[in-house]
Amino acid sequence: MDASRNWYAILGVPPEASQEDIREAYRIMARRFHPDANPNDGADLQFRDIAAAYETLGNPAPRVQYDMARRKYQDEPNYFTLRVTPSKRVLTALSEPQVVYLLLEIVPLRNAAKTVRREAPLNLTLVLDRSTSMKGVRLDKVKIAAHQIVEQLTSDDILSVVTFSDRADVLIPAGHVSDKPSLRSMISIMRADGGTEIFHGLAAGVDQCRVYRGPRRVNHVVLLTDGRTFGDEEQCLALATQAAEDGIGISAMGIGDEWNDDFLDRLASATGGTSAYINSPSAVVRFLNDRVRSLGDAFAERLMLSIAPDADVKLESAFKLMPNSQPIDVYPQPIPVGALEYNRPVSILIQLQMPPSVKSGFRTVARLDVTGDVLAVGRQGYKVLSDISVEIAENPEPEEPPLAILDALGKLTLYRMQQKAEVALLEGNVREATRRLENLATRLLAAGQEELAEQAMIEAHRVSKTNMLSEEGRKSLKFGTRRLLALPQPGENGE
Amino acid sequence: MKTCPYCAHVNLEGVFFCEECGHPFVGGQGVIATSQLVPEEQGAFQGRVTWGTARFERDASIIIRIRNHDEPINIESVDTIVIGRTDPKAPSAIDLDTAPYGAADLGVSRVHASIRRGEDTLTLVDENSTNGTYLNGQRLIPNQPRVLRDGDEVRLGRLVFHVFFR
Repeated sequence: MDASRNWYAILGVPPEASQEDIREAYRIMARRFHPDANPNDGADLQFRDIAAAYETLGNPAPRVQYDMARRKYQDEPNYFTLRVTPSKRVLTALSEPQVVYLLLEIVPLRNAAKTVRREAPLNLTLVLDRSTSMKGVRLDKVKIAAHQIVEQLTSDDILSVVTFSDRADVLIPAGHVSDKPSLRSMISIMRADGGTEIFHGLAAGVDQCRVYRGPRRVNHVVLLTDGRTFGDEEQCLALATQAAEDGIGISAMGIGDEWNDDFLDRLASATGGTSAYINSPSAVVRFLNDRVRSLGDAFAERLMLSIAPDADVKLESAFKLMPNSQPIDVYPQPIPVGALEYNRPVSILIQLQMPPSVKSGFRTVARLDVTGDVLAVGRQGYKVLSDISVEIAENPEPEEPPLAILDALGKLTLYRMQQKAEVALLEGNVREATRRLENLATRLLAAGQEELAEQAMIEAHRVSKTNMLSEEGRKSLKFGTRRLLALPQPGENGE
Repeated sequence: MKTCPYCAHVNLEGVFFCEECGHPFVGGQGVIATSQLVPEEQGAFQGRVTWGTARFERDASIIIRIRNHDEPINIESVDTIVIGRTDPKAPSAIDLDTAPYGAADLGVSRVHASIRRGEDTLTLVDENSTNGTYLNGQRLIPNQPRVLRDGDEVRLGRLVFHVFFR
């Protein structure tokens, strides 16, 4: 009997509900989410929960058993909660489809930082590129960064280091961080030589991470590369998906201009990790240290989001805004969204398409649920859900869109414009790419981002002249516009 | 459907920014372009951005174009321009009166906002208005100046205008 789950919440009934109420609630849920009625991927996933809930609560005998077992969890606080803001509370009745945005915030237990805070024990694997192109200042900075990480860690933490070029070497096998001087000297002997084949390095890294993998730890692989890997990208992505299933996250960092950012994005997103662009070797130290520090700041880990829209609602996209901005794939579900830190919510902007609807009244839109391991208190598989509904009316009062959504969308639009320019160029449509970059420059200026606007203009000009973007400019624009998403909202920091 | 007034792209209802060109449709209203791209002479291009500037020369003047009204309003050099609407019942000292543009119905306060001249920039300040002041769709915090740029869209309540430097 799995009493760790709140089956009543899943069926949306109070614990004192009659058997009849429970049956009725199940019937309504089944109509919304049963795979025969609802083609959405997330719906299937959530229907399994609903069916499991009904299996327990639908019959008095298992229900009594469950109720007894559940007492243990009665005093359980809300370790984290979901806060969902729709772009509009009241939609206009329309005979055409319309877009609705949901801002989902996963908020940690209030005062968690004061009451239960502790450094999350890390099981960290560094996978470091030592190909020939890393020679010199890049590798030196990587060593400095790795030395500092060794200093940050304690004997509760597990560290392993894998280096790779066209082959992988386990430089430091997974183990407790005790003899720091010898760890440091092992890192110092890294030499740059050879090509870049990420898969070997990543596979060896994930293997090392598996050795001490545990539900009470942050299990994470940090990959740092400056190169482009050839032919093994699909293998890497399959590995990342497997790693995510095993509770291992991957963060990917690229130095310089050669590496394949789309690939590293997908790699990180598949595990709920982050990807970052490090434009100068000197920033390597800060980036790596920050990443490891924020890993240690995890209140909950392995958050998994599932989005089940109603049968006639389309899930179009989702983008993670906080604690770092990261594109996320909405399929397959559940979607790994990484860690929840003590002081910052995880926020995700979800775009849905509503069907034409001329009927007034309330209607359900989607059900969101999030599961995670609360490291601070050792609670695994904690789950919360939120059922979203909106009102539809003939002539609703005009309403101001929530500033948080407007702000996020404004910035996301910039990021997407840049992405579209890239796509246009890939398709060989130079004029369209130029126009998109010019539009982007205009919008960036309107947003007060003069440097990025200038960069967009330079690239627009370059594209119109040479039919190409510079790698540096492309990455600066992509990660520059993405970084805007992580900035505080206007008004929080003034002009 | 929502047709972008800037690029004519047809968007679905409910979007806040044109999916094609990023043009904002804040408050569910289409607005005119906030700034125009001025193509540089091909040879002289140096990657410099010359439109949407925040720099406001000492001897420059401001042109205000109120939406749905053709006649631009030209404002010569004044240090502070208080914008509001005259109300016979409660007179107040304002420099730009929006009453003739239907301000009362559009929710403009008697003293709504002001444009202030700085060293070589202009700033827009919300003067504790009832319905708020928006700069390019973003609501201003009362009494907190924000830099105005050539071509910016300003919204007082539901009255929309654009500011140009001349």
